[in-house]
Amino acid sequence: MGSLRTFIKDVRGAKTLAEERSIVTKESARIRTKLKDDHLPQEKRRKNIHKLLYLHILGEKTHFAQVECINLIASDDFRDKRLGYLAAMILLDEHQEVLTLLTNLISNDLTHPNRYVVSLALSTLGSLTSPELARDLYPDVETILARSTDEFLVKKALQCAAKLIERDASLLEIFYPYVGTILKSHHLCTHGGLLGVVKLCQVALSCRPQYEYDNYPEILQSLVANIPELFSLLQDMNSTSFNPEYDVGGTCDPFLQVELLYTLRLMFELAPQGTDRYKNKLNDILTKIATNSDGSKNAAHAVLYECVRTIFALQLDQSLKILGVNVLAKFLGGKDNNTKYVGLNTLLDVVPQEPNAVQKHRKFISRCLFDPDISIRARAVELTFAILNDSNMTELVEELLSFLKGSDDQDKDLIISTVNHLVNHFDSRTPDQENWAIDVMVQVLKVVGQHISLDKVSEVLLMINNGQDLNHKLQVIQQILTVSLGRLEGVVKGDNLAWKLMSVWCIGEYGDILLQKNIFSDTRLAEYLSALNHMYSDSIMLIGYVLTAALKLSSKTNNPGCVEELRQIIMGHTRDTNLMLQNKSYQYSIIFNQPAGLKHDILGAMPFFEKKSKGGSDKVSLQKNMAPPTKPVESSLLLDLLETSPPRNPPTKFHNDVLASQVENDTRTAPLAGNGVYASVPENAAQCYTSSEMAVFMRIKSVGPEGAELELFVRAVVPMHNVQIFAAVSKTQKLILGTLSSASLESDQVCVQELRVSGSGKLKFRIKIVHQGSDMNLKTEQFDHKFDQSL
Amino acid sequence: MVQIDYMLMISRQGKVRLMRWFCPYSAKDKNKICRELTTTVLSRKTKMCNILEYQDHKVVYKRYASLYFVCGINSDANNELLTLEIIHRYVEAMDTYFNNVCELDIIFNFSKAYEILNEILICDGAITETSKHSILKTVASMDALETSDNLDQVLS
Repeated sequence: MGSLRTFIKDVRGAKTLAEERSIVTKESARIRTKLKDDHLPQEKRRKNIHKLLYLHILGEKTHFAQVECINLIASDDFRDKRLGYLAAMILLDEHQEVLTLLTNLISNDLTHPNRYVVSLALSTLGSLTSPELARDLYPDVETILARSTDEFLVKKALQCAAKLIERDASLLEIFYPYVGTILKSHHLCTHGGLLGVVKLCQVALSCRPQYEYDNYPEILQSLVANIPELFSLLQDMNSTSFNPEYDVGGTCDPFLQVELLYTLRLMFELAPQGTDRYKNKLNDILTKIATNSDGSKNAAHAVLYECVRTIFALQLDQSLKILGVNVLAKFLGGKDNNTKYVGLNTLLDVVPQEPNAVQKHRKFISRCLFDPDISIRARAVELTFAILNDSNMTELVEELLSFLKGSDDQDKDLIISTVNHLVNHFDSRTPDQENWAIDVMVQVLKVVGQHISLDKVSEVLLMINNGQDLNHKLQVIQQILTVSLGRLEGVVKGDNLAWKLMSVWCIGEYGDILLQKNIFSDTRLAEYLSALNHMYSDSIMLIGYVLTAALKLSSKTNNPGCVEELRQIIMGHTRDTNLMLQNKSYQYSIIFNQPAGLKHDILGAMPFFEKKSKGGSDKVSLQKNMAPPTKPVESSLLLDLLETSPPRNPPTKFHNDVLASQVENDTRTAPLAGNGVYASVPENAAQCYTSSEMAVFMRIKSVGPEGAELELFVRAVVPMHNVQIFAAVSKTQKLILGTLSSASLESDQVCVQELRVSGSGKLKFRIKIVHQGSDMNLKTEQFDHKFDQSL
Repeated sequence: MVQIDYMLMISRQGKVRLMRWFCPYSAKDKNKICRELTTTVLSRKTKMCNILEYQDHKVVYKRYASLYFVCGINSDANNELLTLEIIHRYVEAMDTYFNNVCELDIIFNFSKAYEILNEILICDGAITETSKHSILKTVASMDALETSDNLDQVLS
């Protein structure tokens, strides 16, 4: 059996994967047999373990060597111990049963006279400790902390103690006093020792939920008492002169600085009262770090980054927050990609807190949209949407548009999410910038239509359909079709189905206007449909649109040749293998042959559509003008065709009173939008429901045989709009709802709803409250409430 | 704060040169992480940033010559930029120890690379020493102890 070196060379020298495997398995089997030999000399044992470690790196199984590691640790030879401990750390983990064999060995080594043996034992205990090991061995670790004057051992013992507390929180009681004592003994406070101290602090601060005894407040107080020391450490490190040993690109030990900042952050978070008197000092120190650091090297950035995160985690003063945002903006302006990445990430977290300060730096954000790195582009897009508002909309959307223009196929996911965001964004806006929105979306489809799902295209079609400005609409359509029908084929990629779909739809819907104005000839339009019909026969949705467009166009032209071509398109699918197309084509062929007058009625212009409401099934809204929850354009086209009546007005017939079918005796309030009085909740009202968004109270004003009068109060926790209250009572009763005092509430404002109940039986209510949050989504909350009184 | 869950060293050919797991992962997960990260990291272009999101955590990597140093970090509190500095510190320490380190040094002396790493990261992957001098002094003293042990044996 050769040496480790030969083995590694053999493996590396293997010409094929199979050869390598055979060398590896042979060696592995050989070691396995050797391990069974009890009389093997130690040197051979070490060699075996060395080879096993190499096998482990190669991804081979090494479980059979666990006991051998322990044999090596048990040896008195330092070479054996060192390798044994190393192998144990790498090959074992805390779930292995052999750890019980290790307990005594580690315990002995922790009291070994040689500091390096103790250090190995501490490191191994730190990596492998289980709750049992922690309980068995903590006294040895504590002895080191209490007695040792060796900084090297103390720094490791501190880290080890932190790990023991993580495994068994009750050990906190034993170890927490050492934070203070070691901070005070200066010879132990090297940077290594300090890293151990802050690690112990961090664990002590974060193990509160697991700690079962009730003296935690005292522990916390004793930890917080160390804040002045931590402050002075930070200040020293940010002074002009420091030990060059810890210099990292001009920053003094960024590792320790970051850990100190994080520890302080935990302390201020966990003990807001106890730390209040230190807050000003913390502000000063953070300001100093944030302004003084020379921000060109990664090490300095790491400290600045931690500093900014501390500022926002602790919600410090406004001036500091603005300073923090400026630091992040500087990150974006820099050259280093990693810094840009963390900068964007942090800004995303910070936007809700400081929207205006972030706004100021939107130039930097926009620049990141064109970064060569996709993860940075993705974050920049997200951030752009986060700061998008009415005032900067034009500017930012233009930026997004040029981002889309510059994007390539790698960015597919990002493009899709950008377009979704854009559609949603335009959705929730008032229509005063409608024309512009339509232009933008048409542009979007032009540049990245090949990535966009055809469902999203219907939303764009809906926008065009609902456009109020007819002149503009015509311009847009002309522009679309000039690109599609003209010789500008290169502008739109061949696989851009979304664009084709839009063109086809425009021909179907607005063919008459195009023909009247003589913009395109009817044969040209029919040819286009026919060409698409042949080229994209595998896209069912596009063919469906082509069929509809062909039918509609046929009613708008008198050219017999053209009509025949359109008829061919439709008839061509009556035997289509796709059932939907076949069905459609068959039905269309019937309509196709109807007399012109009837056909014209059927195929008239599309009505104006309201957008379907966003949200899940339970977010039912009874607002008027709500379109049915179906796919807006396509299905309505069909509905249009199946009825022989003239084009319908807005589809009012779909309003079904959903709540009425759910609960009986139901009434709905008509909210008096905007002008309500904001009453306060009287003291005798009973709280009957709370959620993260509202608290609801009810109060009986009077109750008697003729009926009961009640009041319901809603106190908003977050701002709410379009509040609607629905109530239902049991079947034996009748309910009349009065008016709602206000439909829009800011946080902490209250609105009142009067309820009058007549009939008999217990007073029981089912209340449902529908409102729009600040994100404009409808939200529903429902609960039942029962009173003791009855009618 | 930095707490590294695992550190891998991957060569440009996609071979794992070193792996150290600071959390108990199952063998299956370890294999999966190694395999997937090898392809992901190797396919990244030089202009891209050194931080990527993988599964439910972040991965920070850095290339030195023909080797990629890949670190998995879990909690949100972790400082990505500092993780890069830790990798750098480790590389610097190895560079001094091996006197201008190259991939072959690490292949043949992987246990030394482990020993150096163990003086920098401890327990759950927390940093325990930042002075390059102290790190190397410890490793050198332990090496010396090994040879003197060897000597004792020969003499007796």
